[in-house]
Amino acid sequence: MASSDPEKLMLKGDKLTKLSLTRWNADWRNATTLYEQAAIAYRFAKKHEMAKIAFEKASKGQEMLSSPWDAAKHMESAASLAKELGNWKEVADFYRRSSELYSECGRSQPASDALAKGARVLEEGAPEEAVQMYTDACVLLEEDGKEQMAFDLYRDLTALYVKLEKYSDATTLLLRWGLAADKCNAINSQCKAYLSAIIVYLYLHDISQAEKCYNDCSQIDAFLRSDQNRCATKLLTAYNEGDVEEIKSVAQSSTIRHLDHVIIRLAKKLPTGDVSSSLRNESKDDGEPLDENDLT
Amino acid sequence: MSVIDILFRVDEICKKYDKYDIDKQRQQNAYGDDAFARLYATFESEIDSALEKFERAAAEKNRATSVALNAEVRRTKARLLEEIPKLHKLAQKKVKGLSKEELVTRGDLVLVLQERIQAIPDGSAAAAKQGGGWSTSTSHKNIKFDSSDGNFDDGFFQPSEESSQFRQEHEMRKMKQACLDFISEGLETLKELAHDMNEELDRQVPLMDEIDTKTDRATADIKNTNVRLKKTLLELLQHKQQKEEDGDGGKKDKLTQGRRSQQGRG
Repeated sequence: MASSDPEKLMLKGDKLTKLSLTRWNADWRNATTLYEQAAIAYRFAKKHEMAKIAFEKASKGQEMLSSPWDAAKHMESAASLAKELGNWKEVADFYRRSSELYSECGRSQPASDALAKGARVLEEGAPEEAVQMYTDACVLLEEDGKEQMAFDLYRDLTALYVKLEKYSDATTLLLRWGLAADKCNAINSQCKAYLSAIIVYLYLHDISQAEKCYNDCSQIDAFLRSDQNRCATKLLTAYNEGDVEEIKSVAQSSTIRHLDHVIIRLAKKLPTGDVSSSLRNESKDDGEPLDENDLT
Repeated sequence: MSVIDILFRVDEICKKYDKYDIDKQRQQNAYGDDAFARLYATFESEIDSALEKFERAAAEKNRATSVALNAEVRRTKARLLEEIPKLHKLAQKKVKGLSKEELVTRGDLVLVLQERIQAIPDGSAAAAKQGGGWSTSTSHKNIKFDSSDGNFDDGFFQPSEESSQFRQEHEMRKMKQACLDFISEGLETLKELAHDMNEELDRQVPLMDEIDTKTDRATADIKNTNVRLKKTLLELLQHKQQKEEDGDGGKKDKLTQGRRSQQGRG
């Protein structure tokens, strides 16, 4: 059919699919073809709303034809058009649906990609939803044993957390990143993740947490032997001694400059708060001084 | 005769003929009841022994022994300096058989002796001479700060040859260190890049394997399709040729054939 009028195509498609007394079986095959053509025509004409609806219907048709792959692809197109319209809820829904369809095909990578795309789009509009989508995408990949691919997602999610100023969530995520890196034997990424976590804690001026984190990470052999470990010790000793100059110089060192740029920005702002007062608090926290007469 | 008997006899003989021993007589006569002279003699002997010790210390390679010897020398010096006042007093006393001039000379002798004692070299003087103040082994009993006592002449602040050499060396070393720092920074960057490239390549290996499998499948499909296409084309060609032959051969029967074929089709 050479008819370039998408409206007519849509009507024809609808006619084919609507069940009535005369029509007992919907002719999805033809209908889907019509819908697809209509959708492309609408997109060309920049009629986003209509194109989106057409893609939705085409996707449904493909589903009925038991080809989830094509269905998922159409869903993604629908989602990108919904993005143009600024309809965040629909964007989220469509991307999730397409991800599910990809999973039905058994392909986890495109599924997580779909979620990631959705999350990226929603970073501005609906950040909470974006966070959720990123997390789900990471879970999808980890379940399939493809942690290596998840690194980009972790990085984007960390950036989002820092933007939302949810620093404790960011540290938890960084530690999870470290775990994922450990599973796929990516030592460098692992150590970088741990160092980033320590820096975020220091940015929060939570030195005790930072030290706890450091102690936990030191249990891991690979981290203990790494450059990042040395950098972390230098930073923590500088904090304990209250030496601001030293903190600044360590923060400018090349080890930190090779981390993610979000973390570098945080490191540049160190030290936040008063370092010497933290020193005094530290000594108070040590408890009573050792009693000489106490022989235990 | 037993040994003891011999000893006793020798002693008796010596005592008897002592008056013929020139050196001993001279000694005894010279000093006799003179306490000053005796003390002076002891002083002289001590000074000599101290000098000897110092010589040994200077020649000694082992630093510990040299330090010990120097310490002994210093102790002797201190002791002698303490006893100098006693000597002085004795010098003033009048002794029979001495003229007035000799009394005066005795006072001078005491002073000279004092100077001589102080001039005995011990470890501290030697250590100060070692250039640049690098010595750490000898303890300085007489540490003097600002010993120049104000003679800040022109030569004081001028860099001596040694110090300018040291400064040059220090600066060269500083430059070398700066260059090495630069190199180390570059190496660190390279290391990070290499690590990241390593991880990226690790990530891409399974993807490449997948691509490999898929392209193999695609190649097989294409080969199949090509073979079938070729077969179909050949058949088509054969058909066409046959048709043409039939067309040429049976021109007479064309009509009947046409009617028959039409019937066949119908």
